[in-house]
Amino acid sequence: MNIARHHGHSRRTLRVTAIATAIATVAVLSACSSGGGGSTSTGTPTGNPTKGSITWWASPITTSGADPRTVLINAFEKAYPNIKVKLISAPNDTDTNRATLTTQISGGGGPDVYMGDVIWPAQFGAHQLALPLSKYLGSSYWNTFASGLVAGATYNSQVYGAPFFEDQGFLYYRKDILAADGLKVPTTWEQLVSDAKLAQSKGQVKYGYVFQGANYEGATCDYMEFLADAGGKVLNTKGDASAIDSAAATKALTFEQSLVTSGVSPQATSTFQETQSMNAFSAGDSLFLRNWDYAYSTSQASGSAVIGKVGVAPMPTFQGESTPGYSNIGGWNLYVNPHSKNVAADLTFIKWMTGKTAQTDLATQFSEIPTNAAVRSSSTVKNANPVLAIVSTTKLVPRPAQTPNYPEVSQAIYSNVNGVLAGSLTPKAAIQKANSQINTAVKNGGL
Amino acid sequence: MTTTKVAAPARRSGPNLGEQRKKDVYRRTMARLGWGFSAPALIVIAAVTIFPIVFSVVMSLSNVNVLGSGFQIDGFTLDNYNVVFTDSTWQYALVFTVGYTIVTVVVEIVLGTLIALVLERLQAGRGWMMAMLLVPWSLITVISATLWDYIYDPLAGVATQILSVLGFGHPVILGSPASAIIAMMIADIWKTTPFVAIIVLAGLVMLPGDVYEAAELDGANGWKTFWQVTVPLLRPTIALAVLFRVLQAFGVFDLPFVLTQGGPQNATTSLAILGYRAMFTDLKFGPGAAVATTTALLVVLGCLLFLRVFRSQVSETEM
Repeated sequence: MNIARHHGHSRRTLRVTAIATAIATVAVLSACSSGGGGSTSTGTPTGNPTKGSITWWASPITTSGADPRTVLINAFEKAYPNIKVKLISAPNDTDTNRATLTTQISGGGGPDVYMGDVIWPAQFGAHQLALPLSKYLGSSYWNTFASGLVAGATYNSQVYGAPFFEDQGFLYYRKDILAADGLKVPTTWEQLVSDAKLAQSKGQVKYGYVFQGANYEGATCDYMEFLADAGGKVLNTKGDASAIDSAAATKALTFEQSLVTSGVSPQATSTFQETQSMNAFSAGDSLFLRNWDYAYSTSQASGSAVIGKVGVAPMPTFQGESTPGYSNIGGWNLYVNPHSKNVAADLTFIKWMTGKTAQTDLATQFSEIPTNAAVRSSSTVKNANPVLAIVSTTKLVPRPAQTPNYPEVSQAIYSNVNGVLAGSLTPKAAIQKANSQINTAVKNGGL
Repeated sequence: MTTTKVAAPARRSGPNLGEQRKKDVYRRTMARLGWGFSAPALIVIAAVTIFPIVFSVVMSLSNVNVLGSGFQIDGFTLDNYNVVFTDSTWQYALVFTVGYTIVTVVVEIVLGTLIALVLERLQAGRGWMMAMLLVPWSLITVISATLWDYIYDPLAGVATQILSVLGFGHPVILGSPASAIIAMMIADIWKTTPFVAIIVLAGLVMLPGDVYEAAELDGANGWKTFWQVTVPLLRPTIALAVLFRVLQAFGVFDLPFVLTQGGPQNATTSLAILGYRAMFTDLKFGPGAAVATTTALLVVLGCLLFLRVFRSQVSETEM
């Protein structure tokens, strides 16, 4: 009896302990997975605009030297001593970055402010993964940006991201070789090809032109430039159907293919991302390079074989079209997480980051293209480097990111362009394939 | 034997009945206690494995919209599966993944077994050899894939240089479908053959020596001994290695993710890459979950089928 009672007693105690542990576990787990509901309907931001601590999710902006993210945070904290900004370094790869963010935000967590790609607004807006900033910030703020940028961050007449720094395609060339051959900087693709062939035949360079053609977003960016030059477009004006099946699209892709088949561009173009094309150019192997804003400083960094020999110009276009050619728009916006508890402080941070001080620093210290119109046209910024000097002379074309299904539209473009560059598709077949895939994508169908 | 004899009549006698009941109660108590103590662990396991699996199946059967406020799941639908099955990219990814799995697993089993046989005969330095062999296996796939990316680099890669010296021109290994697929298989085989070798070696070491003595007495030569003694005895070990490898190879993700991003065009898009892209790039969680669910079902069915065929063969040989 005694023993039984003892057992009974310990059993109860242990059972209680076990159940308590189980409940605690469940509580902890559910606490991990539940988050704030997030309110989007109010016009007044939550929190204190001059106080609190916020987190900023941003991928590395430059690869060497001082980290612009910490430089800017330190300057901001000096201006607003009661707001602490904690940097969370985001993945370099845009798609991995997005995957991590969407998982975190839809799980109820995530950073307060995040730096995200310029092609995200429609997708993030449609999925309510970003706060519509135009609900809190008026047109006097949005008017401070260079033209076109705010439109690119708008979806369903709400602005979802504040343009932080811009990027675009540029034509980099070897000043020394063009001078030696008595050539001017090409303004047409045809001229670029003949200049390239001349330099190649003289053995001055291995390749004429290096660009991005791998199976990734970059191949869409490059193709957008050829396509716009040829007068084609991807989507119709309403953005609900493909408009790519055109003679212009085939002309653009046929030309892109001919760059590889003629040997002006390397056979390996179908595996080239920015790094590979940059490396070929920095090694002195190519006469021309298509790349983003960073390429100038990278080509002038130690280890490069072309220091002092590089010039930069707007992109060329096809013969008979008005010059310059189109440059594709890239760059990054600042977004606010709908779950942020201190939207007021987030907005203070964003306004400062897109304001005069931060934008000037970004341009002069880190040679990024400022989004602030006044900063962009100031002579200090224009004199900072040759790339910033020509920004006002380029012609821009955005990617068709006004649809929330843009990632699939882009896949339809880059996978088929890549197929052509790899030699497994003809330009005509590729355009037809892309056309039907884009039509499926914008109707939210398909995989 | 003696204890059962003593215990059996005791169970029937009156006064011991109560004691037996007490024992039963005690056993039940302990069982319950056991459940109680394992509950936290079981709940954690349920939370991290069973819940996601069920959630994925549920998502695959409904209209899912991922929103900032969480997942919006409504209605039952088979649309996601319809979308998946009729998608030509999925059909290709299925063929690619199955082909990739069959080729890599077969090559790995053959090579792994050969290496294991050599290692077993090795008198000296077996430990060193095993340690060296395990290096590829111990590398994280993303890292080894990055190394292979250097090897396959079209401008400076070692493999490219070797092929051009051998008279293949300047091949862009990862730039054309066939060579990209082969290159990826080589990277996989390089990494996982040692794993198969270690498993098979463990099996070889465990084989009873007397069977070999008997075979020798019967006058069987080395070749015959291998096919009629070693291979049949190794079957369970090889089956284990095959199962492990099939489960892994069928979910291949990191190699194409690093080396080709699924390209050129869609040539190396595996089911896992496709599902990842649908879910995390396109935010199409319904179709993405359908890809994940069908992939899991296919690989489980494949393994069951393999085990069944394998087991019937084993029992035949045992007879």
